[in-house]
Amino acid sequence: MNIESVLFVGVGGDGIITASNVVAEAFMLAGLDVKKSEIHGMSQRGGSVSASVRFGEKVYSPTDKLGTVKFMLATEKIEALRWIKYLNRDSVVVVNDRIVPIINQTIDESSIDESMKTVDTKVFIQRNFLDDAKKLGNIKIANTVMLGVLSKLIPVEEKFFIKAIENIVPEKIRGINLKAFEYGKGIE
Amino acid sequence: MKLIKKIVSGNEAIAIGAYKGNAKFASGYPGTPSSEILDYFKEYDGVQAQWASNEKAGYEAALGASFAGVRSFATMKHVGLNVAADPLMTSAYTGINAGCVIVCADDPGMHSSQNEQDNRYYAKFAKIPLIEPSDSFEAIGFMQYAFIVSERFDLPVLFRSTTRISHSLGIVQYDPRTLDNEKELKLDKNFRKYVMIPSNAIIKHKDLLEKLDKLKQFSNETPINIIEPGKSNVGIITNGISYNYAKEIMPDAHFFKVGFSYPMPIEKIKNFAKELNRVIVIEELEPYMEEELKVAGLKVEGKKYFPQDGEFNLDIVEEGLHKAGFIKKDKSSVVFEDIELPKRPPALCPGCPHRPIFDILHSHRNVYITGDIGCYTLGSLPPLSAMHTTICMGASLSVGIGASKVEKNEKVVSVIGDSTFFHTGIQSLVDAYVNKADMTMIILDNRVTAMTGGQPDPSSGTNLFNETFTPVNIAKLAKAIGIERVFEVDQYDYEATKKILDREIETPGLSVIVALRPCVLMPKKIKDTPLVVTDKCIGCKRCLRIACPSIDFKNNAAIIDESTCTGCEVCLKVCPVEGAIVIKEGKQI
Ligand SMILES: Cc1ncc(C[n+]2csc(CCOP(=O)(O)OP(=O)(O)O)c2C)c(N)n1
Ligand code: SF4
Ligand code: SF4
Repeated sequence: MNIESVLFVGVGGDGIITASNVVAEAFMLAGLDVKKSEIHGMSQRGGSVSASVRFGEKVYSPTDKLGTVKFMLATEKIEALRWIKYLNRDSVVVVNDRIVPIINQTIDESSIDESMKTVDTKVFIQRNFLDDAKKLGNIKIANTVMLGVLSKLIPVEEKFFIKAIENIVPEKIRGINLKAFEYGKGIE
Repeated sequence: MKLIKKIVSGNEAIAIGAYKGNAKFASGYPGTPSSEILDYFKEYDGVQAQWASNEKAGYEAALGASFAGVRSFATMKHVGLNVAADPLMTSAYTGINAGCVIVCADDPGMHSSQNEQDNRYYAKFAKIPLIEPSDSFEAIGFMQYAFIVSERFDLPVLFRSTTRISHSLGIVQYDPRTLDNEKELKLDKNFRKYVMIPSNAIIKHKDLLEKLDKLKQFSNETPINIIEPGKSNVGIITNGISYNYAKEIMPDAHFFKVGFSYPMPIEKIKNFAKELNRVIVIEELEPYMEEELKVAGLKVEGKKYFPQDGEFNLDIVEEGLHKAGFIKKDKSSVVFEDIELPKRPPALCPGCPHRPIFDILHSHRNVYITGDIGCYTLGSLPPLSAMHTTICMGASLSVGIGASKVEKNEKVVSVIGDSTFFHTGIQSLVDAYVNKADMTMIILDNRVTAMTGGQPDPSSGTNLFNETFTPVNIAKLAKAIGIERVFEVDQYDYEATKKILDREIETPGLSVIVALRPCVLMPKKIKDTPLVVTDKCIGCKRCLRIACPSIDFKNNAAIIDESTCTGCEVCLKVCPVEGAIVIKEGKQI
């Protein structure tokens, strides 16, 4: 098995680290080798954040090579675009349909949307996952809904994802996260 | 005994390795990417761990524990070793008693640092062993090994990580039991060994040179300098994270993975290189290994093909190997080209107590603002743009003193955080008093080391072990020194703060202003009733100048994101229109 990768991108405070920990744990439970890298130096202050989870029989590098990332989970559109160099036509992209404002800058939303249209990967799912999360009663679980969507496309059995959520997510919010994951799986 | 299998960061692995290596004391100063090590370590039974006020004090405390017969280590980021360089250099002469390790994390690429110095040279400079893991799994084993090496050679060991090692995670499997010390140790009193007056130090330097000879041999024998035979006729000598990139790109090459990198395993590498056509060195930052090998007469190549700055990754290593002719590269794998996008720089949090200070300073024309390192360095970015220097921790006050002595037109204002003040600012406060500096010192006492993740500091009132104490009071300290003009302000009281700042900047002589509002994130998150913009907003954009992430501008009016606004009311205080920004209804005043 080749090394494949799930790249998580977003804005500080988006929960990228937890989401990527869940996926890394799922791979380990499935018996694969995993490496994960995260850059969180200034993330708490609202800068760009990313984490990649690489999996396979034996993984060396914790970070990705341009044009080779198979799966991307983006919690925001500008951040998704910032990393498109890492994707290729076979990639699977799940992106939350939202733009987080940047201090001191006016963002041309329509040009961002235009650019999003040029990302013609094999699978491209753009959706307002915050609405889904709101429907489920907690806006903080949008990432887990997205993970549910992604889990159907990643070659790892579902039970490992569920076990990973149980292992990683604190008990208080475990139930709602499992529900969100289930809900995400139901999204076409 | 059941093995533990889990995914851990390099930093957690270092803590596990230290515990398994029977370390019982650790001391450090926070600094990305090293900060989490002590947090992991302190959770183990029977250990002691502490934050020191700077790296020098941190390392010296570790030395003290070692002299008293207990395995110990210090943690710091790369620039921290500059601060601890003084004890480092002479502790190489004294040697240690129980194993003593300096864990130091470099930051190639400067994800969160002011420079990207390569600390491997410190090992050579001090003549002490240097150990470098390449991932979490190795970090556990190498850290245990570092204590053994330290005791075997009676030397402190430099254990070097980098951001990509410390903050990457990998699967580890380990036996949770700890090793025993090689021999039973107790407090060691030994005048010739530990008192470095010249007559003793002259002998100890000769000792050290003898140890170095033994270490040179040891480096050829240690199992952490590994040859991984390949199939091609070329060889790669590499260390740390670079090994992973090279191994993934060119798995068939012969590899020499250097885990013990000072002194370099010269003889073993000579043997490795003998049968090979070409040998290339792949190392981040400086050509440290390349130079050592070239001096030893080996024909190796390296920086000719690889950058000497920044962080490596798979693409850079592939490019270098391609340039060297080691591999043929398929045409670029990039399908989607970069799009021009607005950068998303970090910013002070909504409600950050530093914001009002910089907004006030911004309004002053003739001031020269010497700054320092912490969250508040973000006050240097537009639109706040109120900081003119940032060098290293503590430099704000001392750079300010020098500037104030010679500058006749602009008033010097220096800005420093509490943790930074306790780190290396106190001395300059004394200097400013003694040398009659004409300047205004603002100490941003948010009661925490916020930048690096909220570690407690002397004004927090709690320590790493969550024991409480009466916080060190900075205003009283300044008065005790003898400084007369000392004031405390609460930044959320914008007008009062502005009045005092404006007045002190106009007043000749030294004044100290301690800004007391705590950080909104740490130790616990503060969130009050949010503010809202009404239709009285005239779109003047004054509130945008305070750079609050909760304020955006749409359809010619400001708009506040209620979910992130903390209700600090600073925007309301600077807004020129009465009633344009108001507290959301329902708040009890
Ligand atoms: C010698 C050295 N050690 C550690 C660091 C890492 N570091 C950067 S800022 C900082 C402390 C900031 O705390 P404080 O001064 O209280 O400001 P705050 O972030 O709370 O605003 C630290 C530890 C460094 N840059 N240099
Ligand atoms: S963490 Fe605290 S000190 Fe740092 S920017 Fe946020 S509020 Fe300010
Ligand atoms: S009150 Fe104003 S300045 Fe303070 S957090 Fe809210 S929007 Fe930002």
